[in-house]
Amino acid sequence: MALLEVRGLVKHFIGVTALDRVDLAVERGELVSLIGPNGSGKTTLFNCITGYVAADGGRAIFRGNDLTNVPPHRVARLGVARTFQQVSVFPRLSVLENLLVFLQQHQEEHLLARLLRTRRLRRLESEALERARRLLDLVGLSDNADDAAGSLSYGQRKLLAFAAALMPDPDLLLLDEPAAAVNPTMINQMKDHILALHRQGKTVLLVEHNMEVVMDISQRVVVLDHGQKIAEGPPDAIRRDARVIEAYFGR
Amino acid sequence: MPRAATLVLVGLVVAAPWLVAAAAPRQQRYVVHVLIFTALFAALALSYDLVVGHVGSLSLAHPAFFGVGAYTAAILATRAGWPFLADVHAAALAAAVVAAVVGVPLFRLTEHAFAVGTLGLGLVAWIVANNWVDVTRGPLCITGIPKPVLGLPGGPALAVTTLPGYYWLALAALAAVVLLYRRLTTFRLGRAFHAVRDNEPLAGAAGIDPLKYRLLAFTIGAALAGAVGALYAHYLSVMCPEEMTVALTVNLLVIVFLGGVGSLRGVLVGAVLFTALPEALRLAPTWRLVIYGALLLLVVVRSPEGIESLLRRASGARPGR
Repeated sequence: MALLEVRGLVKHFIGVTALDRVDLAVERGELVSLIGPNGSGKTTLFNCITGYVAADGGRAIFRGNDLTNVPPHRVARLGVARTFQQVSVFPRLSVLENLLVFLQQHQEEHLLARLLRTRRLRRLESEALERARRLLDLVGLSDNADDAAGSLSYGQRKLLAFAAALMPDPDLLLLDEPAAAVNPTMINQMKDHILALHRQGKTVLLVEHNMEVVMDISQRVVVLDHGQKIAEGPPDAIRRDARVIEAYFGR
Repeated sequence: MPRAATLVLVGLVVAAPWLVAAAAPRQQRYVVHVLIFTALFAALALSYDLVVGHVGSLSLAHPAFFGVGAYTAAILATRAGWPFLADVHAAALAAAVVAAVVGVPLFRLTEHAFAVGTLGLGLVAWIVANNWVDVTRGPLCITGIPKPVLGLPGGPALAVTTLPGYYWLALAALAAVVLLYRRLTTFRLGRAFHAVRDNEPLAGAAGIDPLKYRLLAFTIGAALAGAVGALYAHYLSVMCPEEMTVALTVNLLVIVFLGGVGSLRGVLVGAVLFTALPEALRLAPTWRLVIYGALLLLVVVRSPEGIESLLRRASGARPGR
């Protein structure tokens, strides 16, 4: 069974069918891209999988767990990490704390243990610190570790959000437009980061508008248009697919 | 603040009744009375800041929890003869239970609706206190609440009868609240609270259940407010419905927001300034409220983030906690 299986997912917003019986399967270790014109339902699909939006029909199954009607924090703890299209950090936490907070809830502790700061908790915390520093190093934010995350530039916040999603070592990573609105150097950086994850065997589902990135790194591309899946296949085939060309450029 | 300076400050605060006695013997009773109020208000404001400052929910229900605690202690002490320490704990528990029960539906509301809902709860609590005459005696107030006696059943007991004695009791309570406040607002718990406050959807993606942490802060804040209410009732020996009106909310809002929301130092400074200041201004009775209002305006205009941000800029330090 695939790591993530989406079956017949339906979502209506007032007057619009955002998702129209979408099927999608992502195998362990795959790097899959989700593309489609604006408003085609890509982010809604992410939101349905991660519990931010309740689906009107169908299911999303992750490692055998039905994610339908599961709230975001539980989906996260099952091992699904996601980033947001609008850059999302905790502005008043420091850069380092932004990473730490993404791991600690996966090490559920009694309230009392947190209040008393038990020895076990302090050990977990120092391991988390080590991991956070390694990730900061990876994305080049080590010098900003103690700055408030709100003081970072747009691109830096994007890198921070990416690193934060990696903190709990998730089984599935959903990235929503990681290369949008950043400069070409950073686009290449992002591309390298995602490829590196793929080589480590991580499973990645990517929403991205930058076709160069999508075609370069994806093993498989899924195309949505008006909430329907209109095509699916390796990048080369998608590039030549008549329905995809029509969806993007019109007739 | 350097360690030495902190120690000196703590020493001065603890020795305050003697210092006052030496400096102004004839005013001692009055000044110590103001100091007791300041300590109690500081503790209450810290409990309030757990909710508004650290999980970012603008609750206006704090007088309700303060009142539930005060009435619980007053009733248990006068009618059931409960010992002081027992009725203080019962007061905290009663306020916490009320908060946990009303918190679940209230936190379904967001932002402004939440504020209005909690304001409603505060009003209902006040109306109940006024009208449930069988239990609260309504506007006749509960009187004759005994002075606190510290000690466990069977052991030695220490009655707190003097004003300085009560001041040290209030100070001990404040110290306990400060310790708990710091434990709650730093490290992993504090981080989870602040994550919910800063960005709720992202907190979900980090595996944090926003409702759980909001309820936790709300309930602990209420428990502490209930305990302070009990100390307050024992101190005044009278508990009336007027003690839990919206005026109390306004006071807390002034202390927390003009002091420094989400900051231990800011809230403490706010409590000292905005409890002691109106009293100090009694020296100029005619102009008292005018001066007080002008000072409030000045702080709002010059430093909208509260006095804490001024202190921070003055010391050139990083954001304090």
